[in-house]
Amino acid sequence: MELNRDHFLKTFRTDVRQMENIVARALANGGDWCDLYFEYTTYNELMLRDSEVTSGGFHVDYGVGIRVLSGERTGYAYSESTDYQDMLSAAKAASVISLSSRGGNTLLSSRGGSHISSRPGDATTLSSRPGIAKGDISPKPYYQALHPWAEASSEAFIPFLKDIEQRIKFRDSRAAKVIARLSYSYTDILMFNSLGELTWDSRPLGSVTVSVIYSSEGRNESKSASRSFRYGAEMIGEKLCEELVSEATRGIDALFEARRPKGGKMPVVMGAGASGILLHEAMGHAFEADFNRKGQSIFAEKMGQRICPQGIDIIDDGTIPGNRGACNFDDEGVPGQKTYMVSDGILTSYLHDRISAGHYGVAPTGNGRRESFRFAPLPRMRATYMGSGTANPESIIAGVRKGIYVDEFSNGQVKIGEGDFTFYVKSGFLIENGRLTAPVKDINIIGNGPQALSDILAVGNDLKIDDGTWTCGKEQSVPVSVGMPTVLVKSLTVGGE
Amino acid sequence: MIMNIKYGITEKEIEAARFCLKCASDLGAEGARVSLSKNVLDTVAVLNGEIDKVTHCADRSIYLYLYIDGKYGTYSTNLIEKDQLGDFISRAVAATRLLTKDEYRKLPQASRYAKDAASGLELGLYDPEYADITPDQRMELALAGTHLEDEQSSDYRIVSVECEWNDSVDDNYLIDSQGFEGRHTETSFSFWTEVTICAEDGKKYSGYSWKASTRLKDVSAEGCSHQALEKAVAQMNPKRVRSGKKTMVVDCNASSRLVSPLLSALSASSIQQKNSFLEGCLGKKVFSQDFYLDDLARTPGKAGSRLFDTEGVATADRVVIEGGVVRMFFVNTYMAGKTGMEPTIEGVSRPVVRPFSVIGKNEEPGMEETGVRGLTQKEIMLQCGEGILVTGFNGGNCNQTTGDFSYGIEGFLFRKGRIVHPVKEMVITGNMKDLWGSIIAAGTDAREGTRWQIPSLAFKDVTFNA
Repeated sequence: MELNRDHFLKTFRTDVRQMENIVARALANGGDWCDLYFEYTTYNELMLRDSEVTSGGFHVDYGVGIRVLSGERTGYAYSESTDYQDMLSAAKAASVISLSSRGGNTLLSSRGGSHISSRPGDATTLSSRPGIAKGDISPKPYYQALHPWAEASSEAFIPFLKDIEQRIKFRDSRAAKVIARLSYSYTDILMFNSLGELTWDSRPLGSVTVSVIYSSEGRNESKSASRSFRYGAEMIGEKLCEELVSEATRGIDALFEARRPKGGKMPVVMGAGASGILLHEAMGHAFEADFNRKGQSIFAEKMGQRICPQGIDIIDDGTIPGNRGACNFDDEGVPGQKTYMVSDGILTSYLHDRISAGHYGVAPTGNGRRESFRFAPLPRMRATYMGSGTANPESIIAGVRKGIYVDEFSNGQVKIGEGDFTFYVKSGFLIENGRLTAPVKDINIIGNGPQALSDILAVGNDLKIDDGTWTCGKEQSVPVSVGMPTVLVKSLTVGGE
Repeated sequence: MIMNIKYGITEKEIEAARFCLKCASDLGAEGARVSLSKNVLDTVAVLNGEIDKVTHCADRSIYLYLYIDGKYGTYSTNLIEKDQLGDFISRAVAATRLLTKDEYRKLPQASRYAKDAASGLELGLYDPEYADITPDQRMELALAGTHLEDEQSSDYRIVSVECEWNDSVDDNYLIDSQGFEGRHTETSFSFWTEVTICAEDGKKYSGYSWKASTRLKDVSAEGCSHQALEKAVAQMNPKRVRSGKKTMVVDCNASSRLVSPLLSALSASSIQQKNSFLEGCLGKKVFSQDFYLDDLARTPGKAGSRLFDTEGVATADRVVIEGGVVRMFFVNTYMAGKTGMEPTIEGVSRPVVRPFSVIGKNEEPGMEETGVRGLTQKEIMLQCGEGILVTGFNGGNCNQTTGDFSYGIEGFLFRKGRIVHPVKEMVITGNMKDLWGSIIAAGTDAREGTRWQIPSLAFKDVTFNA
């Protein structure tokens, strides 16, 4: 259901004139940019535990964030009320940044303080036209709830969660405990800025996670599966149930057999899909322009240079329909888009919010995202993946004499300046003489981003986007996704015995 | 009793919380708990000596826990005007009725409630000076000590100096339908700085430093940026170290990471779900006989102290691990019902590792501990002789079901107690039971101002890969 402008203005009990007044107050002390970010989120959850759905609830979050930019400096405040006087108070608090006598970034000031590129034909030029509405900029949204969550009764989802548990226990009698969680949220967003742009968006997000404890001969092992989409309640059904059950019951024998490998440096074959965590940690964060603007990233002076072998594209994409990282608009009102960070091995773009785009004199890339109205936006990833290559995945594995194949992960981390990244492998296999042999689990892999990029020896033809519940935690939590074809990295350090 | 606390909970907001209880009862709830939370955070960030970001955050929300017809649901909202709350509670009651009954969902026994948390100020965690901080003062505090011009060197250039000042007040009010009423109020102040340098070869290194306290007078920028710079410089030119079993000393700024999996595994919720490597370990000696972990929840003036948990149950100072023996699980009312265990407290408040050292002594099990107590990190390293000093963890995880862990580490090779060089791309791997079975020292340097009082720790025979 397409919601119109009036719905959003009514939801937040405001109008354009009022918003203009608030912006004027926020800029009363100076400053060259102000934006308002209204949000109304209802988050729901249901949990099956010990075979029954005995807990659940919903959580309501409502408010408006007001940001003032003075050069590259930020003043930010928010109000949990959209009463006019409360918003004016928040605007006054945010305006303090312009009173600060120390500061004023000379680089930006010399560019007239603009945070918008005027390069013709690009998305920012469109987004900078005053008074433009969502439909005019982006007639084809990347997500839409056919069956809105707000109209669904949580009671209807209880059989779905029970079905997941029953199927898991039917397929594997070792399944001793199953926890199945459904969470879904619907968020209305209204954005207004000092250019007079008014933008709105309605964001559905549904997630199901399944955690299973398997018991056998006195030992317990855990396995989990998850899916998350920007869809409405239509995502709940047989297909999703079967996907989750299949994943949660796959490889259990190997789980009990798995051992730690002998650690050290070795070739690593990253399986298609969730291996995209490598890109997220090793490269994506280092491409976020705030780190580069401050000169802290290991990639800060590498624009236009070759950073990985020819033929490799690395993309951050907000336009995959229904994807957890999809954005019709980012949280600065910039239209969703697909950004090539690396094209044919050459670093071609950072990921920009309006501040960093102004700093570099380029168009924002639609990466200005935030956890909620409580936070100022930052450059953040969306769906980050590597384009498919030409190699056959089986032949990639066959070409490794001794190494490791990894395909399930839980988390990762990176040190921006040094470029050292790690990710935690939940499961994988040893590769011996070109064949997958003994299962392995619970190992951390560590490497250096630029080194790992240049050490990519083969890229498979099997790009897969992983639809798990990935959340990036850089200062704030935002939903993202990752993807990867099968990739061989020449050498990474693997934790082991 | 309503205290006049700047940005604190008002009488009107307390009335709103009471209204929720009454409304829930009127709509048929046999039990309800309401948690009203209000917090204000001010932050000033400085980049290279210039103010970069100023934020003012003010939140208030109501959490509602409903017990209706043997069913249970949790709800929250930040729309807390009376007309909004009425609709919210009606919807919450209706939503709870859709769930399945659970006989173990109950409010705690009233005899277990805290009875000494009337004003929220009993623990002395609120600093009255908070009320007098001005925006200008915040900027001065954030800007203090951010300049490092005299620290330039031919070996590196300073890329950025980021500093951040934070001050906050948290005010929490909890009531339930059995008559519990409690309040907890605390302030927090912190200064944080991160320095990034670029070495001659173009490689970048970052170091950080921070101070935190519940008292304004205890936090200043003095020395932070210089310490952060020293840490960044110390990381230059890392070298690969051979894989193998080595002694590991973990700096007090990083050691909490190793305690966290223990505390998660002690949760009755994890144990009930067979998702704990400490299942069946209550009363058993699992770790080194020298390892003691306490939960000192009621120490006045210390961050992390609290008089009641989220159920209103009174905290107590407790021994969690005593001479390697697991002395308690964290059991809330629900889990007590489900598992048949005696209820304790829902979770840890202020974990404290007792200092000890058996380095150089007879480390065989059963021997009387004769080590010197109260060692600094430097002394621990000196006694260990050779090993790896871990100053931070880079990623990694612990499998809570099995206790198997693998973490990326950053730190230094040391010999004869002295730093030799930073290490490059190293991973430690093992099992939590084995690791804590091999602890050989705990220092006295737990950071002031932190909720978790975990000092520098030393472990023998840890597996390192590089």
